[in-house]
Amino acid sequence: MTPEDVAAAATVRRWLASVALQDASAQDRDRRLALLADFCRHTGQSPDELVHGCLRTTKAGDTAISAKRRTAMNATIDEFVAERGLDGRDAVVTGNTLRSFLVHNGIFIQGRAWRG
Amino acid sequence: MEFKQVLGNRRSIRYFEPDRPVEKEKIQVMLEAANRASRSGNIDYWKALVVYRDELSPELIDQMRVPTTTADLDLAPVYIFWFADMSYADPANFQKNLKELVSVGALNPSHGWSDAYVDDVVIGTVIKPLLSDTQTVAWMGTLETGLAICQAMLAGVDEGLGVCLHAYNAEPVKAAFGLPDHWVPCWVLLVGYPAEHPQTGGQRPRRSISTSAYLNNLNTPWPEDPTTTERLKREGLIQDPVDIPGRMEEVRGLAQRFGLPE
Repeated sequence: MTPEDVAAAATVRRWLASVALQDASAQDRDRRLALLADFCRHTGQSPDELVHGCLRTTKAGDTAISAKRRTAMNATIDEFVAERGLDGRDAVVTGNTLRSFLVHNGIFIQGRAWRG
Repeated sequence: MEFKQVLGNRRSIRYFEPDRPVEKEKIQVMLEAANRASRSGNIDYWKALVVYRDELSPELIDQMRVPTTTADLDLAPVYIFWFADMSYADPANFQKNLKELVSVGALNPSHGWSDAYVDDVVIGTVIKPLLSDTQTVAWMGTLETGLAICQAMLAGVDEGLGVCLHAYNAEPVKAAFGLPDHWVPCWVLLVGYPAEHPQTGGQRPRRSISTSAYLNNLNTPWPEDPTTTERLKREGLIQDPVDIPGRMEEVRGLAQRFGLPE
């Protein structure tokens, strides 16, 4: 999946519209899209599948977050970051950039904070 | 700080200076404020376990995380775990403490109180039936603990600290510290110096008091007196609402500083 493919996904358009990137440079935007595209390749899922995979439908027909799948997603993000050989602040920021994509699509997920 | 200013300044702080130490004296002030809270029967309902984050193992902190409390645990230097101690629900506690209140003139004959009333009537006909209802015991224990927590929070604000109540996974904490089962977990209060502006850009939205308070009957919403409202603005209890663009810029800066999702 290329960054261009990723950028066309509804969930990615929602992310870019929602996150405060109006002032971000094209380079910054491209960097985020490239990272998400890499993550999609890593998981073998499209952006929309990443989001919908964290959700479930309740018996009443409401949309809920699947706690188990969210935990698994957090682990997958950590694994992806580790495989890239990142550590320290870069590791935290990279993982949380991916979480930002999920957060702006309604997935309540938190990563670590960087304390320096 | 003036009392109304403290009330008006309190916010739920979610970005803390992670490595700025919090003085034990300030925590003691918070605990003493909790200890001064109103409490029915003068019973010690609340228990608090104060833990400095860096004294905890990373494994235990990980076990405490819930989806709503992850980054916050990394940033706050102090955790105060609050519990409602359900062992309070012993008629003998009430008998002893009510008589103590009679002896210091807090409960007095003007209002019908005496040692004889406590010994011969209250314990048997009021306290024992009250404490036999588990729902009432839980309600009273947690409500009274909440009053103590509130005072601790406000005292923290008065000391220049930031505070925020959070959910957490209590079982690992209970196991790690050997806490008794009759201590019912309430919240963890995260404490530290704010990394965000202490007033977070302005007060959070609140509906008018007339939407929640009534005068004499439920058909009459509380009539707000504009003069009083203006006085409360001057005294800092009512403050300007959030300046949204400024706040969003601050949040973006904080997210970048701590590597958190934007």
